[in-house]
Amino acid sequence: MSLELCDVTVTLGRAESRTTALRGVSAGFAASALTALVGPSGSGKSTLLAVAGALLRPDSGQVLLDGRDIARLSPAEQARLRRTRIGYVFQSGNLLSGLTALEQLLAAASVAGRPPRAMRPRAEELLAEVGLAHRLRHRADQLSGGERQRIALARALLLEPGLLLVDEPTAAVDRERAAGIVDLLATTTHRHGCVTVVATHDPVVTRAADHVVDMTRLHTTSAAAS
Amino acid sequence: MYLALLELKAARGRFLLMGGVVVLVAALVGIVSGFTTGLGDDTISALRRLPATHLAFARGADSDQFARSLVDGRALDGWRAREGVRATPLGVSIARGTTNRKVEVDFAAFGIEPRSFLDPGSTSGRALSAAEPYGIVVSQQLVKDGVRIGDTLAVDRLGITLTVRGATGRSSYGHVAVAYLPVTAWQRIRFATPGVAATTAPPPRQYSAVALQAAPGADLAAADRALGTGTRTVEAAYAAAPGYTGERVTMTSIQAFLYAIAPLVVGAFFAVWTVQRQPELALLRALGASRRRLVGHTLGQAAVVVGGGTALGAALAAGLGLLVGSEVPFSLPGAALAATMGTVVLVGLAGTAVILRKVTTVDPMTMLGAGR
Repeated sequence: MSLELCDVTVTLGRAESRTTALRGVSAGFAASALTALVGPSGSGKSTLLAVAGALLRPDSGQVLLDGRDIARLSPAEQARLRRTRIGYVFQSGNLLSGLTALEQLLAAASVAGRPPRAMRPRAEELLAEVGLAHRLRHRADQLSGGERQRIALARALLLEPGLLLVDEPTAAVDRERAAGIVDLLATTTHRHGCVTVVATHDPVVTRAADHVVDMTRLHTTSAAAS
Repeated sequence: MYLALLELKAARGRFLLMGGVVVLVAALVGIVSGFTTGLGDDTISALRRLPATHLAFARGADSDQFARSLVDGRALDGWRAREGVRATPLGVSIARGTTNRKVEVDFAAFGIEPRSFLDPGSTSGRALSAAEPYGIVVSQQLVKDGVRIGDTLAVDRLGITLTVRGATGRSSYGHVAVAYLPVTAWQRIRFATPGVAATTAPPPRQYSAVALQAAPGADLAAADRALGTGTRTVEAAYAAAPGYTGERVTMTSIQAFLYAIAPLVVGAFFAVWTVQRQPELALLRALGASRRRLVGHTLGQAAVVVGGGTALGAALAAGLGLLVGSEVPFSLPGAALAATMGTVVLVGLAGTAVILRKVTTVDPMTMLGAGR
């Protein structure tokens, strides 16, 4: 799989609050490579992930996933793409309330049309890999921010996506745990040959990344969202 | 459905509360429906049992016909002479009597000609007979009240004594149990003066109505014009039973209000529930859930809550019916219960359907927060 953004511009908000989040951004992301997306807050990292993840339609430009412009797909096709080929870890608010850690993963499998019962062993294995084997039956509201983030990561990896988009995966975890998460991301990326883009401020991630892309250098001018 | 069930389990407190409300609404609808049918039966079951197509009342008796109408023998003879029509007299009045075993009862006296097509026969004892002009056949409710075959029943203050020959099935009129008797005996009751000794003179040859079995195409209007009667179908004549229309309107209004309340309650719950879980819906959309799946997901949850609640409500109503059905006029046959509960489910789901737009328009970008 390959991901390429060609001259992508995104504006957000309405009227006087309207800001340009991405201005003429072009970038390529290779398969089997973990790319760290760095830049100050408001530089457009999350917006780039949203555009690449078929969550946000750009005002102009192309978002090519395996050569196909996903920005031009219908909402239904974009939804199908998200549930079959894209794994997404959001920075916050990323779990379904009231569900246990294990159920979070099985619910995602169900959304993707995969039988939850068959996916259960892999879900338990992934939760163990992110250090949550002892938290399978804990509800989201009984877990710390870092644990919630790791569940979201395990959920994104469950369906072995071709494109993995991760927003600040280590923001709420200690250094030891952060290293484990980065190791898991790198291993998954290399083993499955997926395109992995991680928005981050964390040097632990940038050190382990195959490529580092500075968001401030991607804009055709420096007028990114503030 | 897996996800819908997971959420139901996770928020079981809220859904149980809502389900409880649906149970109560469904039970109330079932109970009101049972009373509507039961009260209706109690008012007109005797009329419903009449194997007649039409009843000819005296012209000018436009309301409360069974009490106000008097059709004379000439009209009866006229109807009997019409082609395509079988006619027999019917007398209806309410009376009160005391048996030889001191059981006091009210009864609706239905005067008919023995062996005519109105004769109900008997399920125990003997049927009416012209040879025994004061022999009567009582309905089940009178048997339950303590009237036995072989008893004599003295009509209060009229000096007329009837003999119970037999019993027949459930039959009541205006919430009063029916006793069938020869129409000559009915005439004596109807035209006697309370407190005055019974005379041997024949009573007026008059009846409440003429019951008809009309062949299709029989010209009833022409007969009405010629005989001075006003004919209506037996079903139309139900309204002439005392209290029938008022009861129907009251009970149907209550039912209509409940049918209106059910979708509002269910719709309000799911509206609040949907607003509360906008972040979860946005997350599901972001994970790739289609709009159709989210709609199915929401309707699935509603179906479990409304369907389960309604089933329990139906059981509650049916159970109550079994418990009190013999004491009060309550009747809830399986088909009526199924139809009523089916309506509750439909209107409940209709209430949910109103908020589906809120579900389908949720923006997955909510997950990213504004401006990032």
